[in-house]
Amino acid sequence: MLLMFALSPFLVLGGGALLLMLAEVFSRRPSGLAIGTTIVFITSGAFSVALWLYGIEFLPVGILSPWILVDKFTLFFNVLLCLGGALASLLAGGYLVEYKLNRGEFYSILLFATFGGMMLASAGDFLTLFLGLETMSLGAYALTAFRRASPRSAEGALKYFLLGSFAAAIMLYGIALVYGATGSTDLARVGAAFSHGVVTSHPMALIGLVLIVIGLLFKVSAVPFHMWTPDAYEGAPTPATAYMAVVVKSAAFAMMLRVLLTSFGDAESMSWSAGWPPALAAIAVLTMTVANLIAGRQDSVKRMLAYSSIAHAGYLLVGVVVALRSKEQAAAGVIFYLATYTVSTIGAFGALILLGSYGKEAVSYDDLAGVGKRHPAIAMAFSLFLFSLAGVPPTAGFFGKWFIFRAAMDSGFYWLTILAFINSVIGAYYYLRVLVFMYMREPQPGAAIAVPMQSRHVKAALLLSAVFVLALGLAPTCTLDAAIAAATTFRM
Amino acid sequence: MSTMNLDHFVVLSAILFTIGSIGFLVRRNVIVTLMSIEIMLNAVNLALVAFNRAHPANYSGQIFTFFVIAAEAAEVAIGLAIVLAMFRLHRTIRTDDATLLKN
Amino acid sequence: MLSTYAPMFMIIAIATLIAGLFYTFATVLGPKNPTPEKMMPFECGSDSVGSRGVKLSVKFYLTAILFVVFDIEAVFVYPWAIQFRQLGWFGLASMIGFLSVVAIALVYVWRKGALEWES
Repeated sequence: MLLMFALSPFLVLGGGALLLMLAEVFSRRPSGLAIGTTIVFITSGAFSVALWLYGIEFLPVGILSPWILVDKFTLFFNVLLCLGGALASLLAGGYLVEYKLNRGEFYSILLFATFGGMMLASAGDFLTLFLGLETMSLGAYALTAFRRASPRSAEGALKYFLLGSFAAAIMLYGIALVYGATGSTDLARVGAAFSHGVVTSHPMALIGLVLIVIGLLFKVSAVPFHMWTPDAYEGAPTPATAYMAVVVKSAAFAMMLRVLLTSFGDAESMSWSAGWPPALAAIAVLTMTVANLIAGRQDSVKRMLAYSSIAHAGYLLVGVVVALRSKEQAAAGVIFYLATYTVSTIGAFGALILLGSYGKEAVSYDDLAGVGKRHPAIAMAFSLFLFSLAGVPPTAGFFGKWFIFRAAMDSGFYWLTILAFINSVIGAYYYLRVLVFMYMREPQPGAAIAVPMQSRHVKAALLLSAVFVLALGLAPTCTLDAAIAAATTFRM
Repeated sequence: MSTMNLDHFVVLSAILFTIGSIGFLVRRNVIVTLMSIEIMLNAVNLALVAFNRAHPANYSGQIFTFFVIAAEAAEVAIGLAIVLAMFRLHRTIRTDDATLLKN
Repeated sequence: MLSTYAPMFMIIAIATLIAGLFYTFATVLGPKNPTPEKMMPFECGSDSVGSRGVKLSVKFYLTAILFVVFDIEAVFVYPWAIQFRQLGWFGLASMIGFLSVVAIALVYVWRKGALEWES
């Protein structure tokens, strides 16, 4: 019974997904599905919180090891992924109806993909890690292709699918090589073998490490493995874009932390002279710079937000590099940043959805001209989320950046911190440009004006995100403590 | 007596993997690209089964192969559905014709 | 080591030889009397219609893909069936859980109408 309790977040989400799937085909009325999905997400998240408060040390989680590790790291990510999923399904509840895409599969796919993401965050073995990754990615491919009448949707999905499968194959080959060298697919045993110098006796372990890291970097869409991101994000229906930018990326970073810190976290692999940190630091700088420079040149706000999400992957990679000095501090910074990033990004995409309606979408900067006067409430919410993404105090995004940058300073990476700081100043330019258009420009005479949609679902999602952004900005302590507690999983 | 040992299998799987990745990068027909990915995954399967002989303590390599095969099937199902959607809208299955989305 | 396979190679060689001989004799010695009727492609007596590059209905694709997806599940059932006694009740319970998820998927596919050929 206690074992069932330990697995309850997974059981609720998986069972709920199956039930909603059946409900969809037997009722033929998809109207209540958005709310149903949100409830399943919230229930699963609530079970994770209950497990956290109950104390996982009292539960027989050992027999699930290494397949599913139920620790605080897992629980934190369960809550985060369920929050992202719940907000995304609320956005979908408004968007899909408005754009006449209201087919119930969307919600089942959303739930199954999040199930994969939770599995990814909790996997202690390459086998479950691979299964979670595939479950999540296949869901994301299907969500991208969801606008069946749109050539852009199909094209973005095709690029995403081809490059995603290619990256998965590369990562799998790396896993096979590491298995060949160490004789185990258990992350912890692989880590033990690496700290006993398996690389010197079996050099192919090193090739395996490189291939796995490439696969991980692809999944978090770091430059130069980012080519699919803008196209997939632009082609997908906007709630799916928000979902991919938030849930898929958070789960990918959870996987990255788990693999790098558990399996490749020995002194040799994690050293500055012979390990992965310098490569990751270089890629972090490249990711931030390239993404920020291209984001500033976009005409489409959705595409700008896609590049912005790549830039945020760069800041997060800076946080991962800190692991070189302190695994715990690195994990805590990245986890907290992901929490702030989740609510701000969902909010920004939500505001973009709310500003447009069928045939009158808000796509380019010009569509946003004069929105500040016409719809002050939405414009204010949008500004709040953009401030948070840019890292302006006292929003959530400021503290996210602050903890990562401070951790980098503490670890002695002054140059990396300075580069990240310069980049966040560049980033502020294109976020503020949205504000300039909203408040200081008037629409061109005769130009099409974006008309906001009427949707209680989307408004509720925006309100919730705004509350979270402000709460994390004004009182970050509670969540930060939880992030630090989750990071103790990686204590040596 | 047999002269085949682990190295032969590993080398074969590396060759297969290279053929698959070159095919993925060079060919422009989506169906061929999908087949290249399948070749890469089969190289992975071969490597996993071969390594399992070197580590016979448990069967994790062979079990892993089962899961790779199952995931492969699901992946192909989704992939072909996307290719079909693309073909319906673009009337082409060549990747260099997919140029609608550019910055 | 190669000597173990010697009989096999011999069989292959003899089979190739015999097949080759029959083919050569048939082409060289056989009487030839081509008529237009004989040059037509043979399709069980009925006349062939249309060109070679005919487009197939998407229904074939759907059925094939559904077959592949459900067929693959056998990969997990076989090892369980072989080790049925050793895995005991826990194995049975897991397999019931797994198969009921597959059954739910089947119900979903059926209710969605993907199994209907005429529609």
